[in-house]
Amino acid sequence: MFSYNVKLALKSMRRNPVMTALMIAAIAIGIGVSMTTLTVYYLMSGNPIPEKSDVLFAVTMDNWEPLRPMWEDYPDLAPHQLAFQDAERLVTIGQGKRQTAMFESTLIIEASNEDESPIEAGARVTSGDFFAMFNVPFIYGSGWDKSADAAAEPVVVISRQLNERLFGGQDSVGERLTMRGVRFQVAGVIDTWEPTPRYYDPTQGAFREVDDMYIPFSLTRVLQLESAGSDWGWKAEVINSYEDWLNSERLWLQYFVELDSPRDRDEYVAHLDAYVGEQKRLGRYERPLNNEIYNVMEWMEYHEVVSDDAKVLVGLSFLFLLVCLLSTIALLLTKFVGRKSETSLRRALGASRKIVFNQQIVEVAVIGFTGGLIGLLLAGFGLQGIKYLYGSPAGLVKLDWVMMFTAIGIAITSSMIAGLYPAWRVCKIPPAAQLKTQ
Amino acid sequence: MGFGPMMSSLLRNKTGPLLVALQIAVTLAIVINSLFIVLQRVEKMNRDPGIDVDNVIVTYVRGFGPDFDVVDSISNDINLIKSIPGVVAATVASHVPLSGSGSSTNLRTVPDETIDAIDAGSFQWDEEGLDALGIELSRGRNFFAQEVNYVFMTSDNGVPASVLVTQALADDLFGEEDALGKSVYWGSMEPSTIVGIIDHMHGSWVNWASLGNVVIQPGKAAYTTNKYIIRVEPGIRDELMPVIEQKLGESNRQRVVKHVRSLEEMAARPYRRDRGMAIILCVVITLIIGLTALVIVGLSSFHVTQRTKQIGTRRALGARRVDIMRQFMLENWLITTAGAVLGVMLTVAVAYWLEVTFELERLDWRFLPAGIVILWALSSLAVVEPARRAASVPPAVATRSI
Repeated sequence: MFSYNVKLALKSMRRNPVMTALMIAAIAIGIGVSMTTLTVYYLMSGNPIPEKSDVLFAVTMDNWEPLRPMWEDYPDLAPHQLAFQDAERLVTIGQGKRQTAMFESTLIIEASNEDESPIEAGARVTSGDFFAMFNVPFIYGSGWDKSADAAAEPVVVISRQLNERLFGGQDSVGERLTMRGVRFQVAGVIDTWEPTPRYYDPTQGAFREVDDMYIPFSLTRVLQLESAGSDWGWKAEVINSYEDWLNSERLWLQYFVELDSPRDRDEYVAHLDAYVGEQKRLGRYERPLNNEIYNVMEWMEYHEVVSDDAKVLVGLSFLFLLVCLLSTIALLLTKFVGRKSETSLRRALGASRKIVFNQQIVEVAVIGFTGGLIGLLLAGFGLQGIKYLYGSPAGLVKLDWVMMFTAIGIAITSSMIAGLYPAWRVCKIPPAAQLKTQ
Repeated sequence: MGFGPMMSSLLRNKTGPLLVALQIAVTLAIVINSLFIVLQRVEKMNRDPGIDVDNVIVTYVRGFGPDFDVVDSISNDINLIKSIPGVVAATVASHVPLSGSGSSTNLRTVPDETIDAIDAGSFQWDEEGLDALGIELSRGRNFFAQEVNYVFMTSDNGVPASVLVTQALADDLFGEEDALGKSVYWGSMEPSTIVGIIDHMHGSWVNWASLGNVVIQPGKAAYTTNKYIIRVEPGIRDELMPVIEQKLGESNRQRVVKHVRSLEEMAARPYRRDRGMAIILCVVITLIIGLTALVIVGLSSFHVTQRTKQIGTRRALGARRVDIMRQFMLENWLITTAGAVLGVMLTVAVAYWLEVTFELERLDWRFLPAGIVILWALSSLAVVEPARRAASVPPAVATRSI
């Protein structure tokens, strides 16, 4: 019966090719537009590390100006970065299961011979815990261990792209890179890694690619590394040396802690409160006590990584889909009702209402499925267009299986809903009424 | 046919027209709100930055190695750049306006930290800085060469004796009073004197509320990365960029020339989101208008075919072609107008949602009548062809049995 209905549907679609094309186009465009915007929204708001997002926490402590909060519009929020002295001490205390203080720097990789040219690369200055905390995948080698952190050993982990560029993609573990006159040893090469959003540091934009390389945090002092990220300060401090800068109240470090379980959260905040209490006795932290830790998804909310534009576009494009559906209903209604005589004939020849109804619905489903497939193709183009317009990283504009099934699902469901009323109208046509006049 | 019979015919078969009216209503809501957002973005992108964006080249260089002397390097580079024919002026700057990277500070008119300070973007450059960006000084004077010294990341340079401010910042600080010659106080509560006022320029972050507030200190920033701002004679920018890159690259091997870019390209980057949003919305508007128009054409054509016999009968009974044409046009106009009324309500609802949820600007009411007029025009245009076809049905059709 189903295949017969499909055959009838195709026949009927062929009879009014313009109408059919319009209906398919309406659904395809509706699906194409709404899937494009929904995919961007879905990827922006996605959980970049679902298996651990509730045990990884970003740490904030309110070390801002005594008289004013950092954000006038959000007075309850503590600054999103830490001062060097606090970050360094917290890592040393090491209250969590794992922790890392980190910042972004840039270094020149010096050429090993006359023919090559030096290149500048972005470096994340972090602890060895970084790789285990954020489940970083390796192709070659691994991160560094605690002894390398403690001894400030010049080791480096490089990204897959940098490894391609410097070593042609070969296993480069043990190779040397010269930066700041120091010979760094390659400890590991990271496999393709596209955390979207880049949750571990969204301060410079949440959808940037991961860093080119990673070096131990303990090298900061040794090599006098500068931050290439954002650097906030409220206090007028006299800074006459690198050491002065490290000891200042300037806020430029990100800090993440991994706890054993989400339940340990209060305990960790109490630890921060105790630390800040001590600092208050030393005359620092003059604001009211305001320490907070945020798990990954809360941190994404703090940084408002889903842009308002993306939300507005999702809203508007679903209104768009509504227009497409209204078009489809209007077209179907016109078409079905225009076929009264044929339906009457089938009814007179013994087709039950149910059979007539089913036939119409199958026709609608075929149209919906076709429209959905074409819509998916359009969404693919749409995402390419967005990539071109925004220069977004690839992670933000790919259609995955979930979105593909969602698209086809929405297409078929919504066209079925669109088809219900017209089909109901059709099966109410009495068997003989239309036969009489002709 | 009069108005009455037409209404009764519309009402008898009301679902179809109702659907079309609904579709027109939602279309109107999308089109008006999108168009409003597009125009706002376009307006934002077209703001005058007060800088000669088209003729400025920006170069970032960075030295390395134990023998690298940053002061030597900067002064040699600037001399080298100025020796290139076609270069008008060049400076080393702490940051580049419009680039998305910068520094901000806040200033007060009295040394009292309990008073809220005024935010401003902060730059340092030498006596050629204004010329290198093509910025006009409206009053007062530029920096003297002897006021400009090298400044380092890790040494306290104190506050400068003289600063330049934009008129916008002067207004925020001093209101109606003349700011020229007055003192402003930094976070350390030390004062500087305003020696010159820039009529208008944009700072670093185009999305920042205090974009037009800028304070400029005299100084040659000897930081890790040295940023050179170079203005060239009109029309030769793209020719000079590779020349500059090559000459700088050859002159010192202990330095990486990170990039040589036009300020035009750099300034377009921060607006990419606005531009993207505007383009996406334009595509959406085009698609939805196209779709709705096609559906109207499709449905009216279908109705014309359906009603061929009825039309023939009317023609046989004496209706003129123009009457038939008018019947279809009027029917369509009625549906469109019903849709427009519904659409206005929906448009306002969507605009309210956007305003409340996303703090977008309130919809300008003039968009509503404008939208309706355009809608009338478009939907009439869509129905002209089907209506003309209806009018050309010969009276004799009535006599044939189908």
